[in-house]
Amino acid sequence: MGTVGTSGERLPDEALLAGLGAGDAELAVAFVRRFQRIVFGVALAVTSDPGTAEDVAQQAFEQAWRHASVYDSRRGSVRAWMTTITHNLAIDLIRARSALPMDPDQLPVLLAAMTDSPERMAVANDSAEGLRQALAGLPLQQARAVAMSGIYGMTARQVADAEGIPLGTAKTRIRDGMQKLRAAFHPEEAGDE
Amino acid sequence: MSEPNDMTCAELADVAAELALGVLTGRERAMAVVHLDKCDACREAVRQLMTTGEQLLELLPAAEPPAGFETRVLDRLGLPGQSRPDAHSRPASPRGNGGGPRRPGGDRVRPGAGQPGAPPGRSDGARQAGRLRRALAAVAVGVAVVAAGLGGWRIGIAASPSASPAAAPLTSVTLQSATHQEVGSIFLYSGTPRWLYMSVDLASGQELVRCQVVGTDGKATTIGAFRLDDGYGAWGSPAPSNVGTLVGARLVDTNGTVLATASFHDW
Repeated sequence: MGTVGTSGERLPDEALLAGLGAGDAELAVAFVRRFQRIVFGVALAVTSDPGTAEDVAQQAFEQAWRHASVYDSRRGSVRAWMTTITHNLAIDLIRARSALPMDPDQLPVLLAAMTDSPERMAVANDSAEGLRQALAGLPLQQARAVAMSGIYGMTARQVADAEGIPLGTAKTRIRDGMQKLRAAFHPEEAGDE
Repeated sequence: MSEPNDMTCAELADVAAELALGVLTGRERAMAVVHLDKCDACREAVRQLMTTGEQLLELLPAAEPPAGFETRVLDRLGLPGQSRPDAHSRPASPRGNGGGPRRPGGDRVRPGAGQPGAPPGRSDGARQAGRLRRALAAVAVGVAVVAAGLGGWRIGIAASPSASPAAAPLTSVTLQSATHQEVGSIFLYSGTPRWLYMSVDLASGQELVRCQVVGTDGKATTIGAFRLDDGYGAWGSPAPSNVGTLVGARLVDTNGTVLATASFHDW
């Protein structure tokens, strides 16, 4: 009998999510503790404001609680689900404010953090490490364009305006940068284009 | 794969990254969606770009939230904020429970439950049943997919009219005493491996209890045991693979007396 234990800290992510969705206090606490740094990190990176980030992070946990029962592990990990929920909420919020989300001075800092050593990352698994290396290997202009669109949710037009480049150039940088990252993350499909 | 006036695969490839990242707008987006609806190859390419974009988010640095964040989140959810250091310690009395006997789920109120339109004055049991129904059938977090079949979480959260149980491997059911009182919950993760977790509050008792699952043939199989602490206990384990389809679970004491049961048919 493989009893793994009674403490929520030792249960898999999916079990904690089930407990959160069902309103189990012990599992909810374990779930929040497991994901709060990741969730808050995503919210803070996008919004650049701790107060706003906390509001986004709280909303993210509420969304997880409301919709835990329809989480589908075939679509991705709980971690990926949480980061995407958080990211979508943060993007929606900054778009509603009609403000350019990115502080130009912060972009190099963010890119440095994303390509920094794994121990400082939100997650450090093999696939993430491969993507980190690919991001670090991108030409800076492409990496900036990918971060602007992928992290801050900026359209190609917004990227063009922020960088002072033609729209077509912005679209090309986003496309080429993402295709290189895709090749690193899906190496088995590389060259299928 | 394209009609004369449609976006071609080459044109789709030019905007696939923007589409996958959710930043493509207007006519380009509309044309891309139409194309994806007819082109499996491009849909797969966009799906891969979506998962790449999701993985990109996981490179973002983690950050310590402000002090008290955990408590505020649990407050927002209407859950007790005090944590238990281990499974055998007693949970803190839920707020607003008036110091009376604790019933799992009894004080759990969804945000907005007191707002206009919320069902008034329902019993705890009804609330629990309603929660399960909502969880299993009414509300869905779907992918507001740019085209059918893309998968991935990237595209966001949207209301969906239904969710099939097949897409919801996490389920829960109420554990009831012999007198049909709600005394706990069982959670089953039906992925691979299957997981079963239960929490129970019988108000009193220090005894060792066994968790059994019941198969379609009615046979009960003991899959674990844990000791109650003042009636409270929680326990989790991978569900054995040799049990087959489960129709229920129950908690029995060392004498074989059934203390509580749960029927999975309710799922």
